[in-house]
Amino acid sequence: MSNLKLASDLKAANSKLPIDPATGKPLAPKAQPGYYPGFSTLGQKDFWDDATRKLIIQRVEEVPPIRFFRPEEVDLLKAVCDRILPQDDRDGAHKIPIVNGIDQRLYDNRMDGYRYEKMPPDGEAHRLGLQAIEAIAHQMYGKPFVELGSLEQDTVLKTLHDGKPPAGQDVWARMPVNRYWMLLVQDVLEVYYAHPWAWDEIGFGGPAYPRAYIRLENGEPEPWEVDERRYAWKAPENSLSGKNELISGTSEHGATPGQGGTH
Amino acid sequence: MKTPLFGAFGPPKPNQHTLGAMQHVDVRMRRYRTDEEVDYCIVGVGAAGGVLIQRLARAGFKVVGLEAGPFWDTERDWVSDEAGSHKLYWTEPRVIGGRDPLALGANNSGRGVGGGSVHWAAFTPRFHPSDFRVHSEDGVGVDWPMSYDELKPYYELLELEMPVAGPAYFPWGHPHGYAYGPHPMGGVGDILIKGCTKLGIRVSAGGPVAILSGSHGDRPHCIYRGFCIQGCKVGAKQSTLISHVPDAIKNGAEIRDNCMVARVNLGKNGRVTGVTYFDPDGRECEQRSKAVIVCGYAIETPRLLLNSACPGFEKGLANSSGTLGHYLMAQAGNVILGRFDELVRMYKAPPAHALTEEFYETDSRRDFARGFAIQTVGPLPISFAKQMMVAKGAWGWGMRKVMMDYNHWAALGLLGEILPWHDNRVELSEEKDKHGIPVAKVTFNLHDNDKKLIEYGKNKVMEVMWAAGAEDVVQEPRYAHLVGASRMGSDPSKSVVDKFGRTHDISNLFVCDGSILPTQGSANPGLTIQALAARTADYLISQGDDVFTSSSRSMERPPVRKNLSPPGTWGKGVPRLT
Repeated sequence: MSNLKLASDLKAANSKLPIDPATGKPLAPKAQPGYYPGFSTLGQKDFWDDATRKLIIQRVEEVPPIRFFRPEEVDLLKAVCDRILPQDDRDGAHKIPIVNGIDQRLYDNRMDGYRYEKMPPDGEAHRLGLQAIEAIAHQMYGKPFVELGSLEQDTVLKTLHDGKPPAGQDVWARMPVNRYWMLLVQDVLEVYYAHPWAWDEIGFGGPAYPRAYIRLENGEPEPWEVDERRYAWKAPENSLSGKNELISGTSEHGATPGQGGTH
Repeated sequence: MKTPLFGAFGPPKPNQHTLGAMQHVDVRMRRYRTDEEVDYCIVGVGAAGGVLIQRLARAGFKVVGLEAGPFWDTERDWVSDEAGSHKLYWTEPRVIGGRDPLALGANNSGRGVGGGSVHWAAFTPRFHPSDFRVHSEDGVGVDWPMSYDELKPYYELLELEMPVAGPAYFPWGHPHGYAYGPHPMGGVGDILIKGCTKLGIRVSAGGPVAILSGSHGDRPHCIYRGFCIQGCKVGAKQSTLISHVPDAIKNGAEIRDNCMVARVNLGKNGRVTGVTYFDPDGRECEQRSKAVIVCGYAIETPRLLLNSACPGFEKGLANSSGTLGHYLMAQAGNVILGRFDELVRMYKAPPAHALTEEFYETDSRRDFARGFAIQTVGPLPISFAKQMMVAKGAWGWGMRKVMMDYNHWAALGLLGEILPWHDNRVELSEEKDKHGIPVAKVTFNLHDNDKKLIEYGKNKVMEVMWAAGAEDVVQEPRYAHLVGASRMGSDPSKSVVDKFGRTHDISNLFVCDGSILPTQGSANPGLTIQALAARTADYLISQGDDVFTSSSRSMERPPVRKNLSPPGTWGKGVPRLT
């Protein structure tokens, strides 16, 4: 491989990394991004109850096989998940597998207990959505989604976020684009933020039975938690998802109700 | 600290059914023969069903509870984990529609013994006296067929049976105090207090919540781990599974878990004869009983009665009024999220630990009827990420970034009264579940008063968040709780059950759960549902065999029976206000 090719590969990889605003240079991938270096929820596993310990260790050590999606769907969904929740700032050994978790949910037919009247069942919705994403990629760039650069991929996905997909109208006739977007993003979030590495990244204490929390006030860390050590970073240049904008509305008065349980 | 102070925590012991960290059920459960007629068959052993079955068993009735979900062994089955707690929710298929579809499942629907009380946040405010007279006072909704005073003794009973921790003086509605001390504040409670104090709004700190602030019998106190809505492994947060079901079993009740009731059967004499259900192996079985009490909550209760349509009741059993399935309610449950410069760590402490009801009542200066409460909530990472997807539209790098700030965010919940509307309803879908039973289709639309209330309430909570010092405030619209759809009332042409939960149409068929509520106030419904169950039990006991043999319908108020409480309930208190 020529030096020129290596340099251009490096540039492409770097353009997907978050930037240090002070230097304008990309930040090197880490084993554990986030502001809690050295914090490990798994390091507390001896303090957890048996059922919880078994479940969490299984989640880390036994990545479920692909059984629901077809191989070509897996490649596409993987590329999509890499933009819905990018992990370019994580080193190769610490990327959290997302597609396998979604596949397992759909293979096990683990549903949320309701289906929007205007939505097909979740598995079918995922399959249709991938078809539409591919159609949008072809419409906008004349190439399969997996062959696009990260900025182009973000541009394709942002049309869904904004509720204005330029292609796949046969799919959108069968399901509202905003509902699909929320289904997709939520499924990705459910896998990523269920992983103890993600808890370490955000400083969440994780399971706490029977050990308990004892410092409730003023955001104080427990003796085994660590202090926050912030660093500045901004989204990579070749991305569109760094700036938050509201999803276009799904109900007639503009609001997009959430679906989780809090109270 | 590398090893646990008291050694590693071992697995649960074989042949021992554990409920919470210290409670064990070691009595053999009574088993009725399947061909044996029992006195009461209770469909759904949740918040209401759990209290009912305990009292009826204690009073000596032969009672069988059929529960669609499992009888939990909390030490084996539950985990301190958001994603791993999926099985606590009703995840069987349902279809939702309307202009403002209601998310179900984890949001509001339980499955398994204890029902929704297993995964509620356990706020236990009483309804206000005005809630029972909404139509008379405000010209909206409908009045209850009873007054606050009729329910008050049962509030007092259940607050001790659960028991509820809270302040010695709770100023709103009918002022009262709690026998168990309030909880210490977590980060979110401190923020609610700070914001409200700046604005001159009173706050109740440390409760009322059905979470133990001190140990109680074989139940330990709260350890502030924050996993309340994933099921309390500690056994500190009340569910009927740990507060009432053990006593029910000791008193001879049978609970058959993993049994899905398909229909209530009507005999030739116009009385119900029992139920048909699918046992854990999917076999169709019949349980004969002298009376049936449906406790399936706001979706499954109307679904079961609609599915029990038969000659004479073509529109659904006990549905001569045509109101069965209608007047379904959810509360406005917007989550208002504020980012603070300092750390909050909202995953610690129970999500429910402070609230204000300062805006609960109708205020003529506002352009809508009724009001709302403001309460602490404490979303764990997955819930918080989903909220950020809605509230900020976050995804990609934006999501990763806001999530890295998880520990800087606090969440407050609006709890707003949505009025009962005829078009908000449960019907049968063409879709069927795995047993071939048609599933529920739930239609929901916000009306003008609801929208105005939500807009005002949401802005008020945001104001509190800003006043507490937040530097960024966003909100996620959503709904909380479910009630109605099998409403109680005095007029048989406008309601399904009378004030004791007896269906107007069939004298030995009762409904007892959140579905009978005519209106909902802006209080979390759990306490009221359990209090109504204790009251219905007193009524049934006072009626004795008349329920089984006669079609007469006494409307006499039953005496309050304090001797039916689970052991260890009495002898606690604060100086009561008269």
